[in-house]
Order: sequence, then C-alpha cells, then structure tokens
Amino acid sequence: MRISRRAALQASLGSAVAAFASPYVARGAETGWAGLKGQSIVINWPSHPHYDVAKTLIPEFTAATGIKVELDEMQYLRMKDAQVLQMSKPQGDYDVIVYVIMWKTEYVQRNFLNELTPLFADERLAMKDYNKDGIIKAYYEGLGLVGGPRGYLPGPGAKLYGIPYGAECSVLAYRKDIFAKHNLTPPRTYDEMLTAARVIKEKEPGMGGLAQRAQTGHQVTAGWLIHLTPFNGQVIDDKFVPQVAAPEAIKATEVYKEFIDTGPAGAASFDFGQSMNAFLQGQAAMYCDSISVFGPARNPAKSKVVDSVGYLVHPKATRYSGELGGFGLAIPKNSARREAAFAFMQWMTAAQQDIRVTAQGGQPTRLATLEHPDVKKIYPVDVYRECLEIANPDWRPIINEWTEISEKVLGLRLSEIITGKAPIKPTMETAATEIKTVLTRAGYYKT
Amino acid sequence: MLGRWGFDRRLAPYVFAAPAVLIMAVGLFYPVVEAVRLSLYEVRLGEPPTPQAFRGLSILAEALADSSVRTSMAVTLQFSVLVVAVEMVLGVALALALEKPLRGMRAFRTLFVLPMMIAPICVGLIWRYMFDVNVGPINSWLAMFHVKPAWLADPSLAFFTLCVTDIWQFTPFVFILALAGLQGIDQSAVEAAKIDGASVLQTIRYIKIPLLAPILMITILMRLIDALRGLEVVYAMTNGGPGLSTELFSLHIYKSAFVTQRMGHSAALSVCLLVVTTALSAALLMWSNPMRRKGG
Repeated sequence: MRISRRAALQASLGSAVAAFASPYVARGAETGWAGLKGQSIVINWPSHPHYDVAKTLIPEFTAATGIKVELDEMQYLRMKDAQVLQMSKPQGDYDVIVYVIMWKTEYVQRNFLNELTPLFADERLAMKDYNKDGIIKAYYEGLGLVGGPRGYLPGPGAKLYGIPYGAECSVLAYRKDIFAKHNLTPPRTYDEMLTAARVIKEKEPGMGGLAQRAQTGHQVTAGWLIHLTPFNGQVIDDKFVPQVAAPEAIKATEVYKEFIDTGPAGAASFDFGQSMNAFLQGQAAMYCDSISVFGPARNPAKSKVVDSVGYLVHPKATRYSGELGGFGLAIPKNSARREAAFAFMQWMTAAQQDIRVTAQGGQPTRLATLEHPDVKKIYPVDVYRECLEIANPDWRPIINEWTEISEKVLGLRLSEIITGKAPIKPTMETAATEIKTVLTRAGYYKT
Repeated sequence: MLGRWGFDRRLAPYVFAAPAVLIMAVGLFYPVVEAVRLSLYEVRLGEPPTPQAFRGLSILAEALADSSVRTSMAVTLQFSVLVVAVEMVLGVALALALEKPLRGMRAFRTLFVLPMMIAPICVGLIWRYMFDVNVGPINSWLAMFHVKPAWLADPSLAFFTLCVTDIWQFTPFVFILALAGLQGIDQSAVEAAKIDGASVLQTIRYIKIPLLAPILMITILMRLIDALRGLEVVYAMTNGGPGLSTELFSLHIYKSAFVTQRMGHSAALSVCLLVVTTALSAALLMWSNPMRRKGG
C-alpha cells in the first residue's frame, strides 16, 4: 500500500500533538465518560485573558473525551442577562456557565445551579485523580461555596455549587525604577503607598501614583472596595445594617479619592482594562488590583514596563486584607447535558490542565500549580502565596441585591465623590440610606 | 351605493385599511399595553410570569421619588434640546452652502453622510477612543497647547463629549433632509426674489426657510424622538458617568431592567419616557403641523 505524502504528514503531526499533550491530558478512558462521546455542550464564557488561554485547550478536551464544545463568549459584565434568561427557562441553552463571584448566592437562591457534591460522589462521572482538596482553599470557599454564614461565607450550611476558574486575589504592582529614582520605599503599608502617590504625582511629569478602576457603576465600587476592608470597613454588617458611612468606610473613601486625585490623568473614568493599561503604558507608578496583571505585565506587546515591575502583597492599613474575586464554573439546573458539562468542568480544572493554562499566563486554580517550574518562571510565586493568605471572602457582601447596591447606589455616589461633585460624609450617608431602602424592599429586616 | 356583488363602496377604504390597522394593533399597541401592565407589577428578570406581586401605581410613585430618575430625565431633556438645536442649525447651513450642483458634490455628499451609517455602539467606541485622555488623538493635538483635558472623567466635559458625538453623527441626517427640501423648492419664487433685489440672506430668510419649514419641523420631531431615547453611544462612551452627568433616561431604564433586573420598575420608567416623548411631539405638532397645513 502506498502512503501519500499528505497522509504521512498528517500522521506525524497527530503523533507530535499526542506526544506533547500526553503528560498533561487526562484520558477519558480513566473515567466513565465513554457514554458521553458525541454529545455537544454549550458554554457561556467571558472575554478575559485567563479564558483566552483556556480556550486553546478545548480541542484537546474534545479529542480526549469526544465531547464537542460550543462557546458563547461575551464581555464579563454582560453575561448575567444572558445567563438569567437561559436559566429561567425549563430547558436552557447553556450546559456550563462562567459566573462572576458576585452572582453566586443569587443564582443558588433562585435555584439555578446544580449542587456539585452529589456529582463528585458519582463514581461514573468523577475523574479518578481529580483531587478536589488541591484547589486553592480561599478560592474554593470564596467562589465555590454558597449557603453558609451570611449566605455566602464558608461554614455551617455551605454547599459546593461551582469550581473556581480564573479566580483572583489582589496584589500591588509597582515600578521599581521610579521608586528607586525618588528614594521611595516599596509600600508595605497604606501610609507608604499614599506617600509614594503624592511624591510621584509631584515629581514625575506625566505620571500618576496609583492606577485604579473608577468608572461609574460596578468599576468605581470595585475600586473603592480594594481599600475598604484593609481599613476594616464593611458594606453591611452581620445584621445587614449598612456601614458605608461608618468612620472606617469614610477613611477608606478619603484614601480612595486621594489616590484618584494623585493618579494618572483621567483616572476617574477608568474601567478595569484602562486602569491596568495606564500602569502597563507607564502612566502610573503603582497598580493595586487583580493578580491578572502578572500575564500582561511580562508581555512586551502589552507592556512598556516589562523589566521594571516589582510585586508586593496588598499593603496593610488597619489590617492586611485583599480582594477575593474572579470567575467560577457551574452547571445550570436546566442543562440537558449535565454529565458532559461536569466532565468538562473537571477536565479543565484538573491538575495537568491547570499547570498548562497557568504557565501560559492564565490564573491558577490549584495550590500545587504554583510549585511547577514552568509556572515559577512567570509568576512571583512567593508574593502570590502571601496575597492568597490575606484574600478575604467577605471582601464584599455577595447577597442577591449586591448588583443593585454595587451599580446603582455605590456606583453612582462614589463617582460623585471622586469627581468632586459631592462631599464624602453626607454622600456616603445618602448611600447608606439608599442601601437600607434596597434591603428593606428585599425583606432583610422582617421580624 | 352598492357595487358588484352587493358590496357597499363606502366601506372600501375601511376594508383596505383593516390589515394595516390589525398589524399596527398587534405590533404596536399590544407591546405598549403589555408595558403598561408590567409597570403595575413587581417582576424580576428571569422569574416566571406568575405569581407576580401587584403594586399598582406605587412603582411609578417610587420611581418618580428617586432623585436619580429626575436627574436622568433632566440630563436627557438638556441633551436633546441642545443637540437637536445645534444639528438643525449646522445641517441647514450646510445644505444651503452645498445645494449648488458643483463638480464632485455627489461624492462629497456621500462621504458627508458616512457617520450616520455607522452603528451607534461603534460610534460610542470610536469617540471614547478619540476623547481618551492619554492615548486619544484629540489630546495629542491639544498637547501643542500644553493642555490635557480629562474629557470623560470630568462631569461637564463628559456631557460636552456626548453632545459632540451626537452632533457629529446626526448633523448629516438634517443635512440630507434639508438638501432634499431645498431641491424641491419652486425656483420661480427664488428667481422672483432675486429680480426684486433680495440679497442672499434675505432670500434664505424670507423664501427658502419658510418653504422648508414643514420638512424642518418633521426633521426636528424625528431627531427629538431619537435623542430622547438615545442609548448605545452613551453606554459605550461613559456608561452614564461620571456620576449621573451623562446618564440618559434610556440608559437608566436599561440599567433598571438588566442590572437590577426590576422589570416592573423599568416598564414604569419606559411608560414615563413614552408620555414625555408623546407630549413633546404633540406640542411640536400643535405648534406647527405640516400635515394639517397640507390638508388645508
């Protein structure tokens, strides 16, 4: 039999791909997934650097399991409308959804999601070497568990509804060269961070101190929250009473406004991307937000500061406390292909795949991933570990009404404050009253 | 007056109009009635249609008591009046300047209407980039004068940028309609004015503008309705901020529906917008109704 040159090339290429992938790819044969072959699942998925990397692994998942994947990709804040509409139907289009941490409690309380523990208990569906305990504890508790204390914290009553994927904590990135030039101490505390911001604004032409999010709505609330819990502030307390006008929150708001005033030009309108971009393009000397800066900062196509970025744990104000946020994978209750969806979730978050995604600039799901040499090459692993230790699952109240509070109350009032249109204390008192109105309408104070 | 097959000819207009009326009733009135009905219930996005909590007019009262609703409505009215006025002046002026059949004018006119053909969401993104404080071309040009305005971060400048964007996009619309109107004017009136010794300005003031008035009134009406329900551009450019400085009412309704997911509340706000738009349109038509004039 004569073998054509094309056939030989195809065979060689196939062998090369298999050889490359084999150390990592968990085989469908090791599970009871054989019956899922040929099924097709639809995933609602964000446009986000982590997911851009994760997307490259999907063909391998299909090759390993025979399950086809269709992605419905969109801007991350726009996913909620589509997800709620789909999950409200008797049978929705989505088999896997990627939710933002803020939505987890609402989805569970509206009975939209499958609890995952029974699925992990099903020997037919669970991957043999999955090791759920290897998932970073803060992410597992913060993104995966729902129903515990306050409805969203780990503890009695908490059950697993999602697997963190693209989860994040906060870190301080700073320009080593600029700090050295002005004899500034790399900030370990908020006092040092404020001092640096003032000096840089004054002495470094065209540069601001700290780049942060501030656009009206979700972004300005996220920017403010970065500073709230380090000052021991809360949005609401255990009895759901608003605390945004308490002295701790006022102090955090004053600090946030000062960072905007000493920040890069136009800081009051920055969203997540613009804020990171301001730092990467050299318009700001500091960036205190998501660890998703690690990947772009070392990419010369996106960063002008590749060789001069240093990292430190999110600085201390009254205490150390950092962001806990990002995305999780979940299976809607109305999915018709729940088993294939569960296979996908496990495969993507399994140890081998986690290393590959992280080594290419994605965000780790598992603690052991940080030990891998390929990951150590690109991640400031020690700083990351410190950040994980202070990641606060109560960084914001993840209650059903959070989106409304975040976007329509705080998202508006904070914007008025940072643009100088409104004074801090009376405006935060107004915000507290408005939050109470929302919570009263939702029935939080019924006796 | 019976026709063939004993059909009363006087009924003919009603018979012919019936399909159109039916389509309008289903396609237009049903959604409006449904929106009014929804505005009386507390319904959240994604909840089943029943049971719904009936709240009657209390949703509307709650909406109107909200200071952000009033601010948003004020911003919208301010924006609509301002941009429509500027667009009318610029559009008519350009039409008067370019009405003569000059060489290459057809190509120029085609180029001139391009902004109108771009999807509004793209217009928002284009101008958001143009006005970007650090990388936008406008600030690059202004760097020559050592100024660097934070266009989208300052409430009054952000409102200005929104107006500029709308004027850029919709002046061509006024231009096209005014140009069509100018070309439809009976030239004998213009010639007569010239023979009587009228200057160019006098011809425009006393002959062309009065003859154009019915078209201009329709143009104002269309632009006003459009400006009152503007959404995509402001959504992409500023998301309504800083604060509420650029939050047009449609964006407020959008946020109420899809951010807070309160469908009844957003329906109540939509009905408010419908009432305001209808009132303004009715006032304009009462003041100068071209259809009535034509009918005699």
